[in-house]
Amino acid sequence: MALVSLEGVGKTYRGRTGAWEAVRDFTLDLAEGEFFCLLGTSGCGKTTVLNMVAGFERPTAGRILLDGRPVERPGADRGVVFQGHDSLYDWLTALDNIAFGLRLRGTGRSARRAQAERYLQMVGLTGQGAKHPSELSGGMKQRIQIARALANDPRILLMDEPFGALDAMTRAVLQGELSRIWAETRKTVLFITHDIEEAVALGTRVGVMKRGPGGTLKAVIPVDLPFPRERTSDAFMAVFRQVHALIHDEIHGAH
Amino acid sequence: MRTDRLATVAGYVAGFGLLFLIWHLAATLLVKSVLFPPPLPVLERAVVLIEDNILQEQIVASMRRILQGFLIGSAIGIPVGLAIGSFRPVRWLLEPWTEFFRFIPAVAMITVAVIWFGIGEESKVFLIAYTTVFVVVISTAAGVGAVGRDKIRAAQCLGASRLQVFTLVALPATVPYILTGMRLAMSNAFVTIVAAELIASNDGLGKLLWDARLFMQVEDIFVALVALGLLGFATDRIFRFLIRAFAGRFNATV
Repeated sequence: MALVSLEGVGKTYRGRTGAWEAVRDFTLDLAEGEFFCLLGTSGCGKTTVLNMVAGFERPTAGRILLDGRPVERPGADRGVVFQGHDSLYDWLTALDNIAFGLRLRGTGRSARRAQAERYLQMVGLTGQGAKHPSELSGGMKQRIQIARALANDPRILLMDEPFGALDAMTRAVLQGELSRIWAETRKTVLFITHDIEEAVALGTRVGVMKRGPGGTLKAVIPVDLPFPRERTSDAFMAVFRQVHALIHDEIHGAH
Repeated sequence: MRTDRLATVAGYVAGFGLLFLIWHLAATLLVKSVLFPPPLPVLERAVVLIEDNILQEQIVASMRRILQGFLIGSAIGIPVGLAIGSFRPVRWLLEPWTEFFRFIPAVAMITVAVIWFGIGEESKVFLIAYTTVFVVVISTAAGVGAVGRDKIRAAQCLGASRLQVFTLVALPATVPYILTGMRLAMSNAFVTIVAAELIASNDGLGKLLWDARLFMQVEDIFVALVALGLLGFATDRIFRFLIRAFAGRFNATV
């Protein structure tokens, strides 16, 4: 059985200026342990899909199941890494940010600390735990977000263009780190991006979305390449070209 | 950090020095009137008032009222502001109040306060609380409204209950706004206390001003004015220090 199932999911916003169909008839099964990259142009509805899986928004059509149970609200079984780092708590240290979920469920102070230290180390920030978010760089803040989500041990990690606001160098480094962390934890990941190379470098499958309005899944490409991925290899380039061809129409149609 | 602080202190000393120098030059060279004494006679008069324990008494009287009213006003304003910011029905119900009363300045309420509470402490404390409460309510409510959506969502998907979202996210995120509102309210409190004491009081810096006017003791007027400026300055410094100490880690921009 799939860990997460989206069955004919649609989302239509109704406002004063009329209705806007962001997502239409979106169907997808996510298997335990896979790294699924959802790729699409801006405005295609990919973030709406993630928000619905997270429970921040309710679908207006179809349904979303987690372990066979319908998703109705946000919960600790779905960890989210946001695009901006405004989701971190400025008044807490990096370590306390990571331990936040454990604190919510009443884990004792020392157990909390030990657990948070472990994830701090996992994201490569050993020794930076006492700093506050304002003292950390953009890349470090995203690492803290990843550690915070993982420390809560969710069933699935939902990542909404987490490296979108970072410079190219930092982004490449963090992509490598994320790949390594995923290989260590085998956490199921739904990763939203508009970057073809990022999707092919990280995903075990890449889903390409049609452009909006009424964005839906156009095709799913399995990426059967070993990790760590060699981005200049012929095999990588072949998948890249395949995905690029799929999204080409969407990019050019969007102008 | 340390040299920064030294430079700041040196700058303040120089700034005050310059102010008193300009005052001195203006009084001795430009105006040359008994109605505008230079700083030195004012300082001498201040020393006399301090030796007679008069200045201290007025300062203590005024500051005690400010502090009492300010604490009462904040104690009411913070929870009300939190409620307005958190619950829409409360906002609908109470926003007309704040929007109504904040345009009735405390100075205009002095007469009512004296009729209700007499000329003693209660009327002054009431006025300071009155002037404090609306500023604190508005900035607290604004702070709650400004809590980032992702901060709340992050807590929700880490498993936070509604109560936990409020106590562990919304509340701490609002602290800088609350403190800023209190700081603004404090400057209002100075305005209000002087006006109230001018009109109806047996002591305080406002009363000192009023008596000095009655008996044409110009130096006394200036002593009271300088005392007000210095007290306000010191209070605001203390407040900024507190904001840094308690909220520096809450918000780097404070």
